[in-house]
Amino acid sequence: MGELDYERAADLSRTLERRLVDRIEDHAGVSRRAVLGGLGLAGASVLGLSGSQPAAATSEGHDGETHGNFGARGEFDEGGFDPHEFLTTFNTGFDGQDNVTQSVYEEDGRRVREFEISAVDTTIEIAPGVEFQAWAFNGQVPGPTLRVTEGDLIRVTFTNGSAHAHTIHPHVKNVNPRMDGIPTNGPGVLNQGESFTYEWEAQPAGVHFYHCHSLPLKEHIHRGLYGTLIVDPDPERVRDQPGDYTHHHPSQITDELTADLVDTAKSRNHEYDENDEVQELVMVMNGFDTNFDGDNEVYAANTQAFAYGVGETDGRGDWAPGETKRPIQIDGQRPVRVYLVNTIEFDLINSFHTHSQFFDYYDHGTTLTPTHPTVDTIMQCQAQRGIIELDYSDHEPGLYMFHAHQSEFAELGWMSFFEVV
Amino acid sequence: MAGDTTTVESGESTAPDLTTILGALVPLVLLAAVVGAFVVAAPFSGVQTGAPLPDVSVTHATLPSDETVSLHVVNNGPKTVTVEQVLVNDAYWDFAVGDTPQSASTSESARTLGAMESETIQIPYHWQPGWDMGVALVLSDGATIHHTIVAPSPSPQITGELLGLLAVVGLFVGVIPVALGMLWYPFMRQLSSTWLHATLALAGGVLAFLAFDAGFEAFEIAHQVPGAYEGQLLVVLGILGTLLLVEAVSGWFSDGQSLSPLGVAYLVALSIGLHNLAEGLAIGSAVALGRVSLGAFLVIGFMIHNVTEGPAVVGPLADDERPALWHFGAIGLLAGAPVILGGWIGSAAYSPTLGALFLAIGVGAILQVEWEMASLIRRSGRLATVTNLLGFLAGLVVMYATDLLVTL
Repeated sequence: MGELDYERAADLSRTLERRLVDRIEDHAGVSRRAVLGGLGLAGASVLGLSGSQPAAATSEGHDGETHGNFGARGEFDEGGFDPHEFLTTFNTGFDGQDNVTQSVYEEDGRRVREFEISAVDTTIEIAPGVEFQAWAFNGQVPGPTLRVTEGDLIRVTFTNGSAHAHTIHPHVKNVNPRMDGIPTNGPGVLNQGESFTYEWEAQPAGVHFYHCHSLPLKEHIHRGLYGTLIVDPDPERVRDQPGDYTHHHPSQITDELTADLVDTAKSRNHEYDENDEVQELVMVMNGFDTNFDGDNEVYAANTQAFAYGVGETDGRGDWAPGETKRPIQIDGQRPVRVYLVNTIEFDLINSFHTHSQFFDYYDHGTTLTPTHPTVDTIMQCQAQRGIIELDYSDHEPGLYMFHAHQSEFAELGWMSFFEVV
Repeated sequence: MAGDTTTVESGESTAPDLTTILGALVPLVLLAAVVGAFVVAAPFSGVQTGAPLPDVSVTHATLPSDETVSLHVVNNGPKTVTVEQVLVNDAYWDFAVGDTPQSASTSESARTLGAMESETIQIPYHWQPGWDMGVALVLSDGATIHHTIVAPSPSPQITGELLGLLAVVGLFVGVIPVALGMLWYPFMRQLSSTWLHATLALAGGVLAFLAFDAGFEAFEIAHQVPGAYEGQLLVVLGILGTLLLVEAVSGWFSDGQSLSPLGVAYLVALSIGLHNLAEGLAIGSAVALGRVSLGAFLVIGFMIHNVTEGPAVVGPLADDERPALWHFGAIGLLAGAPVILGGWIGSAAYSPTLGALFLAIGVGAILQVEWEMASLIRRSGRLATVTNLLGFLAGLVVMYATDLLVTL
């Protein structure tokens, strides 16, 4: 007896079949079909395993049978990182998270937003019951979302509490190489216990991010050292230099367009009342390689797999929210803005797709007119980011799915819902 | 030992006195004291070189219905592990743990496996026959345990019907061919001692081939045996242990004298029976794992293959008085019927560990029989004659040729 190998057995059976059929054919006028048919029947009858069995099983129908459901089993531990809270938490210097020391003050006629950021080694829960040894800014992955206004000076005092050497590298337009947060520039990497104060120009307006730039880079990023940095446009500057915020040729910039751009800038800027109307959400698309095979086992928007999914569903149209796994509730009558950042490692791209909905997309958020109007899927390469403007005002209440349209990522955690109410 | 004619020259065998026994116990008592001291004082408790790695394996999967995938999981390591998530084809999926899908639970205690503990993970998944499935268990630290279900097909439920079917298959595969092969007995009695020895050598070749065949198979399956059971060493233990045990039994019955031809025939039947038990196990497990197609070919192949075992069991009797007919029946059943038993065991309780062990036992039994048959020939002639060597070779060749028919 050889190994229980389906392929080999099938091949051998075919060979033997052919040989037997050939031999019998040499003898009498027996048809090939008769011989093969007879063999098949004999084979089926001897072991009672015939092709009819799967057919019989499927004909049982779906009633009372569960096909099972994809999605992670169980709930997340409560009390840890809350991805629902994270969605709408912005650290502006005026206010933000309690555990992020921050302030706003004037210095030499310029407004400074100061934040204290630390790096620590910690353990985070990325799928119910599945823990990941993370390196994290202020103990959370993604790191705290920083939000400033164009033209401010961002002053970040970074203290490294991790056993590994880290930096903070910002994706903003920096004119001083000492502040770039890479091993070759300025202070280089900071060892455990060391501290450095980075100063970055808040420019250009857009959705940006910061991350550790120590080597090996792939590991330092995928372990969790990244966060979102939003630079809101300054409506006054937009009024003065509208050409910086649109792809239109200067000859096309009318007063009407300028007024529109200023309005959009006010809606984007957290210091204006117009911004209060918008439901703003931060989503960092990330992934985690839990078994060191250079591929992610968990994908998510904001770290926790399926955290914006449903608690349970019968797969037949009924669902219930869970304690920690639940859809993002939004008011259908108010606009929705998603600050989307892709920090995935190991995969070249990530994507964002909305069900039953088209949206305007602003790549990098650096313009006030959409770079991709009326799309339902956008893709981002590693470190790419953008702003998504959604309008559910004509949609009926209910669940609207959104997810990475790499189905693999979706089924490994990056699958979410808006619940329009 | 069989074949030897040495007389027992034991000295006075008085029972050892009390001081001798106490002397033998001293090292054990001291060992117990040292172990006790270690447990109490724990002098090496400061020596910690990291945590042990999780060591979990999926030994095999069964597919009780087209809605369910059952993974048979064992924790080989010293560390308690909890299965937090399950992936099917790179998608997180529902699952519960328990012997049947109905009794399965998702509680943490059900999902937790202590050292050497086994569990069955039930996944409600509508799988597609013939489409390979990659499943993975995700432990709490993110470690993954992968298992591929190749060409899935439904596993039959254990019913009276299935057991009856396996009995019929066993009858055709084991009992009937051996009985048919035994019908060569009258012919063999007509043979000169030269040709009779050649026939015995042929039977020896048949058995030798089976030993290699089953031995390789055993070591192959041993790779799937959960690490803690030391599959390769288990096979070695099975082979040597059976060899020694059967040899001891044979020595006991022959009382130091060489075994009677009938005794050898029974031993041959026993060893072939043990081998056929493993063969039945393979058939039964193939059925249980839903891996049997074109059963007719397989059964025909086994019949042709096993018919050569008939002359092997009656060969030792050809040179002697014909024993009572019921002995033939008993010998035939002993050699052939274990296929049925093996089939039942294999279909009901398959595991690679059991498979490897049974195969190894068969190999050990065969090795002992080879020894026995060699001494049978040597008693009335020379072993390494040209006809005997060619007969042995012929046995190997016949088995190689017929083995092509029974690749499971």
